[in-house]
Amino acid sequence: MSYFSDAWNWLIASQNWHGSNGIPIRLAQHLEYTGLALIIALVIAIPAGLAMGHLRRGGFAVVTIANFGRALPTLGLLVLIFVLTSGSILSWLIPLVALAIPPMLVNTYEGVLGVDRELTDAARGMGMTEWQILRKAEIPVALPLILLGVRTSAIQVVATATIAAYIGLGGLGRYIIDGLARDEYNVVAGGAVVIILLALAVQGLFTLLRRVIVPAGLRGQAQNS
Amino acid sequence: MITFESVTKRYPGGTVAVDALDLEIPDGQTMVLVGPSGCGKTTSLRMINRLIDPSEGRIMLDGTDISTVEAPRLRRGIGYVIQQAGLFPHRTIEDNIATVPLLEGWNKAKARDRARELMDLVGLDANMARRYPYQLSGGQQQRVGVARALAADPPVLLMDEPFSAVDPIVRSSLQDELIRLQNELHKTVVLVTHDVEEAIKVGDQVAVFYPHGKIAQLDTPQHLLGSPADEYVENFLGFDRGIRRLAFFSAGQLDLETGTVLAADTTVEAARAAAQRCGEPWVLVTDGGNRQPQGWFAVSDLDRQPDRETLGSLSLPLAPLGHTFQVGRDSLRAALDATVLSRTGRAAGVDGDGRVVGITTYERLRAAIQTAEQAGLDGNPDQPAFREGRTTPEAQQAGADDAAEPAGEGVRPS
Amino acid sequence: MSWAWQNRDQIGHLLASHLYLALLPVLFGIVVAVPVGIMCVRWRWTWPPILSLTSIFYAMPSLALYLVLIAYTGLTDWTVIIPLTLFSLSVLIPNVVDGLRSVPPPVKQAAVAMGFGATRRTIQVELPLAVPVIIAGLRVATVSSISLVSVGQLIGIGGLGYLFTDGEQRDFTTEIWVGLILIILLALLFDGLLVLARRWLTPWEARAPRQERRRVVQVALRGANAGVKGGSI
Ligand SMILES: Nc1ncnc2c1ncn2[C@@H]1O[C@H](COP(=O)(O)OP(=O)(O)O)[C@@H](O)[C@H]1O
Ligand SMILES: [Mg+2]
Repeated sequence: MSYFSDAWNWLIASQNWHGSNGIPIRLAQHLEYTGLALIIALVIAIPAGLAMGHLRRGGFAVVTIANFGRALPTLGLLVLIFVLTSGSILSWLIPLVALAIPPMLVNTYEGVLGVDRELTDAARGMGMTEWQILRKAEIPVALPLILLGVRTSAIQVVATATIAAYIGLGGLGRYIIDGLARDEYNVVAGGAVVIILLALAVQGLFTLLRRVIVPAGLRGQAQNS
Repeated sequence: MITFESVTKRYPGGTVAVDALDLEIPDGQTMVLVGPSGCGKTTSLRMINRLIDPSEGRIMLDGTDISTVEAPRLRRGIGYVIQQAGLFPHRTIEDNIATVPLLEGWNKAKARDRARELMDLVGLDANMARRYPYQLSGGQQQRVGVARALAADPPVLLMDEPFSAVDPIVRSSLQDELIRLQNELHKTVVLVTHDVEEAIKVGDQVAVFYPHGKIAQLDTPQHLLGSPADEYVENFLGFDRGIRRLAFFSAGQLDLETGTVLAADTTVEAARAAAQRCGEPWVLVTDGGNRQPQGWFAVSDLDRQPDRETLGSLSLPLAPLGHTFQVGRDSLRAALDATVLSRTGRAAGVDGDGRVVGITTYERLRAAIQTAEQAGLDGNPDQPAFREGRTTPEAQQAGADDAAEPAGEGVRPS
Repeated sequence: MSWAWQNRDQIGHLLASHLYLALLPVLFGIVVAVPVGIMCVRWRWTWPPILSLTSIFYAMPSLALYLVLIAYTGLTDWTVIIPLTLFSLSVLIPNVVDGLRSVPPPVKQAAVAMGFGATRRTIQVELPLAVPVIIAGLRVATVSSISLVSVGQLIGIGGLGYLFTDGEQRDFTTEIWVGLILIILLALLFDGLLVLARRWLTPWEARAPRQERRRVVQVALRGANAGVKGGSI
């Protein structure tokens, strides 16, 4: 098992925990990029999904965006925008945001759509405003799915940020890209392990978050997270 | 014969759905379980094919405890029809119907032949054989459901709210169809419904359930309507049970007026004489040859017409005939209905070919109802009762008798 | 575009290898997922652990998995095919299970009441009725797989992904565009083929493109594979 012993040796080597190329700094960078992209995507996708779901409009567009997002090769998008924007901050932010939007958008839209139409009609009949219906009925019911969407986006952005090291972004991907370039396989191995652990941690974090945020009565809705 | 021997079903959580039920379901009859929603009808039914197992007690089928029979084998001998039909969406109509024969190991050609036969039996067009369920209406799907349940010719047929999901008109025609089928097939049918009308219409025996899994009354429909066991049953049956009960007495029991049924070539003079002899204010005009009823003349109008003219040649307009009832087939309820609706307070009874047998009036109805009630209360419960729309041998006989004795013949001018 | 025409031989090779790398995992995936799915429905206790496994595989970044595998498979096609197979499984297994469970209760009840045993019911009723849902899952798995292969280019095995790294090094946008467009077209093509396969395999379903689109969305939403492409990049 030389792979895992290489990875382990690299992980416990103290020089890898210090300095500008140390694991803490790289991890912090990685989280920073991920967080920034997620917040921007969140601000765009959630209101859009809520609005479309509430109005029951734009289903075709949402599905198309979802399909397109699935078909779009990440690496291609990264290098294309990198070449087109000639290396500004946008060169990595645009692809990360673009890939983070579809899961959140689809899940939010579908979550709101999943609210019984008779329930909203009844609410309207009782004189609730559209905003009240959204806040009191649709968002709570949609919450489990919205959370799942955010989780999916988060996992995706964590992974894509790794690939973005290829176009010069910092973060954990540096270990992999630089390690591959210099044939330092222990660095590559260690980096891969850290990235896998990060992905699983994100997954676990959202599972916990769901326990806290989602009302118990609705948890059955998106059981498998 | 299906026998429930103090069967209890307790669901996890403590609901007692069926409480010490004793029930005998005789062969070849339709037993209807009726009661409010949640009273344990479905549970009782599904214990018969072991979709649910009783908590206590046992169920015998022809003397065998069903819990000793392997469930799939038991089920293949019991047809089962449910509200949503439950057709296999991925199989054509004929393959749906052939399901159990195929399970039983018939070869495909034979099973399909059988399917076609059954489609014919339940009134489905043969060109639907290759369609898929989604291409059929709800009523048609339900017919397929019945055909599928009957495919392997099981002696027992269980039906759980089989007609509840279709609109009232289709429902009524499906009920008629079931009655017709049962006339031919004489299966042991157990049918669950919450609809009293349906229970009364299709049941040979009706078991009315209390809300909590006990039987309030088990009786024939006419006895149920005639003498409900308690206030609960009476309320459950609804308010107009007196009139509904008339559906169980044959219009053949009416003593019909024949003296004022007159052919169109009768003279006005003869018509007046006939009316006077019978003490009737109206005469019924039929066309000469085959005694089809045409309409009514008031005797007071005839007084002003020339004596020698025939009824058919008068320019006087006929009062409309109104509804007729068929003597051998319809009930006193139908005869009463036709009479109530008629402008003349009279209705014509006809035979199977539409020829007039005689006329009924309120008076004659009242007399018939009185006799019938008397006979009904004193009557022998084992005797097959009259059922509207069903041809029992006696009813057919009665129709034939009526036809053999031409009405109004005597007043023809010679 | 004249560049693409001049280099059609090389692009053709890349395309063939891309398809091979993308489709083989989906094929492996479906061959394994159907029996595993049946098992999970038949013996319910096997489902929770398998579900946990699939959601772990789903979350794994594929690049990281490629790198782990290099140590064992060297720089061969298997280095890419194995992680993509795991990804396909993580999409397909929950989907097969869902499909098998999606049979309407009255239909299932009718089957039981007619005397179908459990195994016969699964194979003759539940499996055929699950086909539309399974194909919806296949669509998601296939499209994702076609786009994910290109990431393998970072370890030198990426089919059309070569056009991305090569284009980047030469600062040549056309090449990148060609790669992007070809991959998207391939994804659309196979997506369309699967839609046709669905129609051909399930003549009992009413033609309902809307329902079909929704079904794919539902797959994407479904549990472990919630979202669009998920973590396997
Ligand atoms: N699977 C079940 N678990 C628990 N309670 C049940 C179940 N099925 C039925 N019940 C309860 O048993 C009672 C009788 O149900 P059912 O036989 O379906 O009534 P019906 O068919 O007369 O409407 C109801 O109170 C119902 O809520
Ligand atoms: Mg019921």
